[in-house]
Amino acid sequence: MEKNSRPNWDNPMQFIMACVSYAVGLGNVWRFPYLCQMHGGGGFLIPYLIMLVLEGVPLFYMELAIGQKMRLGSIGAWAAISPYLGGVGFASVVTSLYLCLYYNIINAWSFWYLFHSFQPVLPWAVCPVNSNLTGPLEECERATPTQYFFYRETLNISPSIDEKGSIHTGQALCLLLAWVMVYLFVVRGVKSTGKVVYFTATFPYLVLLVYLIRGVTLHGAINGLKYMFTPKMEHLANPITWINAATQIFFSLGLGFGSLIAFASYNEYNNNFERQAIVVSAINSGTSIFASIVTFAIYGFKATINYESCLERMRLLMLNGFDLAEDTINIEDVLDWMVKLNSTYPDKFAGLADRVETCSLENELNTAVEGTGLAFIVYSEAIKNMPLSQFWSVLYFFMLLLLGMGSMLGNITAIITPLRDFKVISRNMSNEVFNGLVCLFLFLLGLSFSTPPGNYWFTMFNDYAANFSLLFVVLIEIITVSYIYGIKRFEKDIEDMLGHRPNWFWKIMWAVVSPLLLISLFLFYIINYIQGGTATYQAWDKEQGKSVVREYPVYGQVFIGLLLVSSVSCVPITALHAWYKKRAHGKRNRQRTINTVSL
Amino acid sequence: MLGKTLFLLCLASALSEPLCLKDTSDGYKVRISIKTALGDEAYEWNENEMFLFRATLAFAMRRYFNREDFNVSSILVCDETPRVSFWFVVVSPQNASQLIDKADVENAIRMSRHRINSAFLLTDSTLEFIGIPPTYAAPVNPATPPWLIVFGVVMGAVCAGIIGLLVSTVLKKKGLTEDENDEEEAQDKAVENGIACEDLDGVYNRAFPDDERLTKM
Repeated sequence: MEKNSRPNWDNPMQFIMACVSYAVGLGNVWRFPYLCQMHGGGGFLIPYLIMLVLEGVPLFYMELAIGQKMRLGSIGAWAAISPYLGGVGFASVVTSLYLCLYYNIINAWSFWYLFHSFQPVLPWAVCPVNSNLTGPLEECERATPTQYFFYRETLNISPSIDEKGSIHTGQALCLLLAWVMVYLFVVRGVKSTGKVVYFTATFPYLVLLVYLIRGVTLHGAINGLKYMFTPKMEHLANPITWINAATQIFFSLGLGFGSLIAFASYNEYNNNFERQAIVVSAINSGTSIFASIVTFAIYGFKATINYESCLERMRLLMLNGFDLAEDTINIEDVLDWMVKLNSTYPDKFAGLADRVETCSLENELNTAVEGTGLAFIVYSEAIKNMPLSQFWSVLYFFMLLLLGMGSMLGNITAIITPLRDFKVISRNMSNEVFNGLVCLFLFLLGLSFSTPPGNYWFTMFNDYAANFSLLFVVLIEIITVSYIYGIKRFEKDIEDMLGHRPNWFWKIMWAVVSPLLLISLFLFYIINYIQGGTATYQAWDKEQGKSVVREYPVYGQVFIGLLLVSSVSCVPITALHAWYKKRAHGKRNRQRTINTVSL
Repeated sequence: MLGKTLFLLCLASALSEPLCLKDTSDGYKVRISIKTALGDEAYEWNENEMFLFRATLAFAMRRYFNREDFNVSSILVCDETPRVSFWFVVVSPQNASQLIDKADVENAIRMSRHRINSAFLLTDSTLEFIGIPPTYAAPVNPATPPWLIVFGVVMGAVCAGIIGLLVSTVLKKKGLTEDENDEEEAQDKAVENGIACEDLDGVYNRAFPDDERLTKM
């Protein structure tokens, strides 16, 4: 009957596109290049690829297998595997809920920047003038125009997390648009999602290719590329490098959220997910490397531009300070001249000392930035210097939007699919109404991120909401599958679906290597968290025009604790509930038999 | 006539030594960056250009005070450097030893800044009067910010898409229920073994292991 049959992807290609669209997200564009830079450039690829093989692909394979076999979302699938561990599914849903809440804010910012690119002069290219028209605004003068646009005009950020304020209407509108768009893509469930993912999976590659061509032809791009590709092998000796590689693979593939299980549950029973798992993981890692080439080309361009403008400022300073003719100092000789003038007129030079800056290309390249800072500040700064900057800006933010939307589809499906498996919901509410309610609920909660301190709450969610609980969830998952469910039973299920058993490589990974890796990651996180002291965040100080480090207030730290506990505790709570129910059920059975006997 | 003017000029220049000084409190320093502004088309800074400068400043003073008595001789220049920077003061045309107030000079320059810049093909940043900040153009504030227009377009398209999808779903459902009603009327009820078709849900117990490869007898 149509009501009870599960919807399916139209063809396996849709499933692959959906997985690629979900896995290839903003993290590939901004976190991987940052890690490459932090951990020795090209050398980082070694731990990255090793971790991909040891941890990424086996876990990806496992989640797809579970989803395709059980044909249920994460809650139902884990409850079916072991009633005591149904909580794993709940933990996944809670974590996905948090993720959806804050991830769509990034899409809202992408919309904001995209819409503001349709102007003759990009608003982040120049500082706005102050009220008496005598000069640029002070805050903008102390910082840079791109930082000012992001922190003041986009976020209207408060100096610390304690301030209260009203919602930024522009932000709220963009967030509304983001949620309405998500609803449009999921309104019919997998039938509508399946069509959209063709576009969200492929178009970003087109943009990246165009950007690659533009990027490597930019002035100074070669500096960035050289910086990235000279491997600094000494970083390999640092355990942090390996841990970051493992964590990056883990989060980049989107394991543990339940999205992969949800997507796979709409597959045909005999779909060859083994090949698809390898293909998608390879595409995801390949995209990270590709995106980091583009990022480093652009990075090199921006660093070179900044370096050259620093040299130009110093040249003018020397010319004006010592009243030399304009063509005495060229931009290539600036540094030599500075040394010469310092030695010949030390007093006069000392008088200018407060305005003298050290211009260093190395320093510019070394300033590693990740996350929203990279995407919205550094990239927009690079874009404003390109010729035809409006076009490049539109293209870039459109790509960011597609990447973000593609991942959102996976995140929202991870919530909708397991909840729809509950008969209570699927009988009483149609697909459209239920999806609409979920989107509306998340939108209303997400509005709190558009208040002045909203960006600090966003950072809190970004840093704490998903990382720890995911590690916990995936660790429980792999141990459940390998030891509680049993590798033998799992093997048989796979044989049932694919027609052949998984070979020894997979079995060793699932049973030994991946659990060990995950346990060590998990322990490392706990140790790091405890040793790290009070949690801190970067606050924007408008007086100084830069970010300062502040500690979270007490209620902030309590909230962090709540975030961590709320998802993790689902597992023990559900286990206890299941155990209690079984005991009560057992007692009732025994009572009935006693009654019949005594009659 | 010529002799008299020459004599006056010499007198003026002789008396102006103490009036125009470096770091004077009644004058301004000017810094000109021709090569930065014009690159290959830069002209040489020489006495003629200086004459033009003095004439332009005199023009600015005339325009500000709305008098026609300021002359090139009213503008005194000193401390020229190879940078092309110099100090200047403005003396009153009536009394050659009296300097025009700094504030008046500033206002005059501000009023005619654009004309002064154009005379030299320079801009506010390449023809600098140290101490007189350039006036910025007032920001253009359109009635509807352009981003809102693009937002409206996109939001409209997305909403139209949603409404379209919802309407087509509703129509499809109505079409189906009408067909089902027709079928039921034709066949009475669809029943299997006394149980209606919808209630034939079995639940497949997936946790129950399938047959072992080697069954134990």
